[in-house]
Amino acid sequence: MIEVKKLIKIFEGRGQVVRAVDDVSTQVAKGEVVVIIGPSGSGKSTFLRCLNGLEEFDDGQVIIDGIDIAGSKTNLNAVRREVGMVFQHFNLFPHKTVLENVTLAQRVVRKRKPAEALDKAMALLTKVGIAEKANEYPSRLSGGQQQRVAIARALAMDPKVMLFDEPTSALDPEMVGEVLDVMKQLAREGMTMAVVTHEMGFAREVANRVLFMDAGKVLEDAPPAQFFTAPKELRAQAFLKQVL
Amino acid sequence: MALKRQSAQWPWQGLLVVILLGLAIGLWIATKQVNYEWRWERVPQYFAYQDEEPQTAPFAGAVIKISPAGDSSQVTIQPEKGGPPVAITVETATLKVADGAQVSEDDEIGATRHWRVGPLTQGLWVTIWISFISGFFGMIIGLITGLCRISKNLTLRGLAVLYIELIRGTPLLVQIFIFYFFIGTVLHLDRIVAGIGALSLFVGAYTAEIIRAGIQSIPKGQSEAARSLGMSAAETMIHIVLPQAFKRVLPPLAGQFISLIKDSSLVSVIAITDLTKSGREIITSSFATFEIWFTVALLYLLVTSVLSQLLFWLERRFARSD
Repeated sequence: MIEVKKLIKIFEGRGQVVRAVDDVSTQVAKGEVVVIIGPSGSGKSTFLRCLNGLEEFDDGQVIIDGIDIAGSKTNLNAVRREVGMVFQHFNLFPHKTVLENVTLAQRVVRKRKPAEALDKAMALLTKVGIAEKANEYPSRLSGGQQQRVAIARALAMDPKVMLFDEPTSALDPEMVGEVLDVMKQLAREGMTMAVVTHEMGFAREVANRVLFMDAGKVLEDAPPAQFFTAPKELRAQAFLKQVL
Repeated sequence: MALKRQSAQWPWQGLLVVILLGLAIGLWIATKQVNYEWRWERVPQYFAYQDEEPQTAPFAGAVIKISPAGDSSQVTIQPEKGGPPVAITVETATLKVADGAQVSEDDEIGATRHWRVGPLTQGLWVTIWISFISGFFGMIIGLITGLCRISKNLTLRGLAVLYIELIRGTPLLVQIFIFYFFIGTVLHLDRIVAGIGALSLFVGAYTAEIIRAGIQSIPKGQSEAARSLGMSAAETMIHIVLPQAFKRVLPPLAGQFISLIKDSSLVSVIAITDLTKSGREIITSSFATFEIWFTVALLYLLVTSVLSQLLFWLERRFARSD
C-alpha cells in the first residue's frame, strides 16, 4: 500500500542544514498498522508528512497504492483523497459545524450529493461516538471530542490509508483513551495505518510493526513484542528506558 | 482587604463635564471675538425646501366656485366659450382670485407647493453612493491584489507590490488629479468615473494589505488539513482560508471603508458635487460659513457612526462560532 524508497528531506535555514529524514526505505502492507516512535526531533512527523506530500521531500520516492506521488503526471490532490490524515492539533475548521467539517470535503472533492454526504457523516460521527454534537461548532468540544471528529472527517473520504501524526499528544490525559479506542477499532476493521505516537501501550497492543527513528534514520523495524522486550539498537534501549 | 479596589468614579465624571463645558464656553467666546452672527435658521432649507409652482388659467372664463379643503382650495372656472367647467387645485395661501372674478388665459390663479431635496441632502447622497461603489470595487481589487501579493508567482507578486507601494506612497489628492487629468483625458473618462476609479484604486491598495495579513494569520494547519483531504489550493482558499480570514479582517476592513467615506471628500476638487462641494457652494450663496461646515461635519459623523454600529452588530453575529 505504501512504499518508501530512499526518502530524504532536508531543512535549511540560518546556515544550518538538517537532514530531517535521512535515506529512509520501508513499506506498509495493506491492512498493516505501523507505529513510528522515537525521541522528539527524530524526524518521525516529517517522515509521516512526506507520505501524503504535505512536506515536499528532496529525494527518493513515495509510492501510494502504486502511484509515485512525486511523479510528473501525478495529481497529488487525487492521491491525497485516498490518504486520510489526523493531526496533533486536530485542525478542525472552526467556522464550520462538526457536521459541516465532515461533509465539506465529501461534497467539494468527492462531489457527493448533500444527502449522501450527510448520511455518511452521521454514520461516521455515530461510529466515533459524537453524533449528538453534530451541530455544534468545534470550539464547544473537548480535545478528545475534536480529535474524534477529525478522524471522522478523514474517514469520510473513504481513504485506503490513514496517517496519524501524534493524535493524542495535545490531549488531556483523561481524553487519550477515547481517541485510542477509535483508532484500535479502525485497526481491527483492517484499515492500513501509519501512526506516529508516544503511546507505547497502543504500539504494543495494536501495531504489526514498530519503526524506531532517530536523527532522520529508521534504526529498528521489528514486531512490537520483539522491539519492546529486546531492542537491538543502543539508542532504542536508552529511549525505551526513559519512556517505559 | 481585597486586591480589587472599588475607586470612586464621580470625581472623574465631574472633571469630564467641567472640561466639556469649558470647551463649549471657549467656542462661544471665540465666536463672539470674531463678531460672527450665527444664522442656524438658514441651514434647514439646504436639506429640503418647498418650491412654489404657479398655476395659470388654461383659458379665459369666470371663477364660479372656490371650495377650500384643508390648506388647499379647488378653483372651478367656467370657460367663456362654453364647455364643461374645469377645477384647479392651489394652496389657499397663494390664492390670487376671488369668487366670481373674470380671468383671462394664463392669468395666475395661485400656486402649488412641492417639497424639493436641498443641496446638502443631494451632496450627502452623492458622497454615500460614490463611497459604496468605490468601496465595492476597492474590495475586489484588494482581494485580487492580496492574493497576488502572497502568490508563488514572481510576476504577480511583483506587480502587486509595485501597485501597493505606488498608491500608499503618494497622496490621494495627487492620485485623484492624475486620474482625472491624465488617465481621464487619455481614456475620455467622465469626472464621476475618474473619481470612483481613483478612490477604488486607493482603497484597493490598503485593502490588499489587510487581506494579505488576514490570510497569513490563519494557522498553517488549516490549509494542511484541507489539502490532506484532497482539496486543491483554490478550493482550500475559498472554503477554508478566506472565510476565516474575512472574519478576522472585518474590523480593519470596515475601518478602511469608514476612512473612505471621509477621504471621498477629496473628489470635490474635480468638481464632483459631493457633500463637501455642496457645502462650499452653499456658503458662497448663504455666507453661513460656520453653520454649514459644522453641519457638513455632523453629516459625515452621522454616516460613519451608523456604519460603526452596523459593524459592531456584524462582528457580534460572526462571533457565533468562536
